[in-house]
Amino acid sequence: MSFPSNRLRSPSTAAALGLAAAIMLVPANLLPVLTTEMPGNNRTDTIFSGVVELWREGLWAIALVVFVASILIPILKLVGLALLLLGARRGAGGDARRLTRLYAALDFIGRWSMLDVFLAAFLAGLVQFGEFSTVTPRGGIVAFAAAVVLTVLATEAFDPRLLWRETPVPSDSP
Amino acid sequence: MSVEPVLTCRFCGQAHRPVPLPAGQKARCVRCDSVLARGARLGREAPLVFSLTGLVLAAPAALLPFMSAGKFGAERTSRLFTGVDSLWSGGMPALGALVFLCGGLLPLFLLAALAILHARGRSARPGAVGRFLFRAAHVLEHWAIPEVQVLAVLVALMKLGSLVTVTIGPGFWFYAAMALSLLMAQHSFNLDLGAPQLEAGEEPADPT
Repeated sequence: MSFPSNRLRSPSTAAALGLAAAIMLVPANLLPVLTTEMPGNNRTDTIFSGVVELWREGLWAIALVVFVASILIPILKLVGLALLLLGARRGAGGDARRLTRLYAALDFIGRWSMLDVFLAAFLAGLVQFGEFSTVTPRGGIVAFAAAVVLTVLATEAFDPRLLWRETPVPSDSP
Repeated sequence: MSVEPVLTCRFCGQAHRPVPLPAGQKARCVRCDSVLARGARLGREAPLVFSLTGLVLAAPAALLPFMSAGKFGAERTSRLFTGVDSLWSGGMPALGALVFLCGGLLPLFLLAALAILHARGRSARPGAVGRFLFRAAHVLEHWAIPEVQVLAVLVALMKLGSLVTVTIGPGFWFYAAMALSLLMAQHSFNLDLGAPQLEAGEEPADPT
């Protein structure tokens, strides 16, 4: 519904965007996303090492939030999208309602993956104290942002009505 | 000649005849059980009120100090778009533009679109402007995400605790209130109620 035009919505478009997102997730998770420079303590973190560092510092709740938003949700979205595409191709049949719920969930959670992008932008703007303390975003965050944008576009390119083509249409509601 | 309004489920395409909903009740699709619409719990004018409130709050959110950080006597104050500026000048203009759009500009567009749509009323023949605004609002729903930026700032606050001394500025509170207003406006608007006429006759693409 939210894709600019229904003409652009097709399983092949969704699959292509999903595949591109999966490819972008590799550099997003391997390349550093942030460098923190402090006197005697310079750190360069990937997404995962940033989560581990938060956990070590005792910030478990924050570590969990970042882990879910930046690592778990992108993977869940791609796995979910693959299930939806398989359902649309083979015919969802009795699973149509369950797959529709999955689509609605993917549609809702996708936005939260942008957390790390906003976090990097905010830290880069605030922590600029020259030799005392500086935070600099690195290339991994660009790859991560691209992966997030592609996963959102992939979900929007999938038309959930395809799951219901083989299901009988009930009479109109009162 | 009057046009019979039709409410089409955005998930399965099932057509329904709209009926007035009591406050707090939900209408569900007879086919896929998705929520089609919600009865106005806060009154019929709630979407307009929340949209206009969000638009008013956006100005101080953008102009007032968002956060201040201090380290060894040095202090730095950031505003809403300081991070965008840093990314842009730091060689990441695409990332800066994405943050600017999702956290700043698109929420404003969505608030304005919701306010205009509500003020124009829901007509069976929405017209070219109405159709454009409905489509725009549907697209913007996924990209206007100030609530994620609010969560990111809260995460940053916790993370920065050991690094620098941080003080929250009034701009952040205005921004958080703007994000809440947008969520409330979206929740109370029932965007799908206006969409059926736009999608009439459109069929899903074949899986290939």
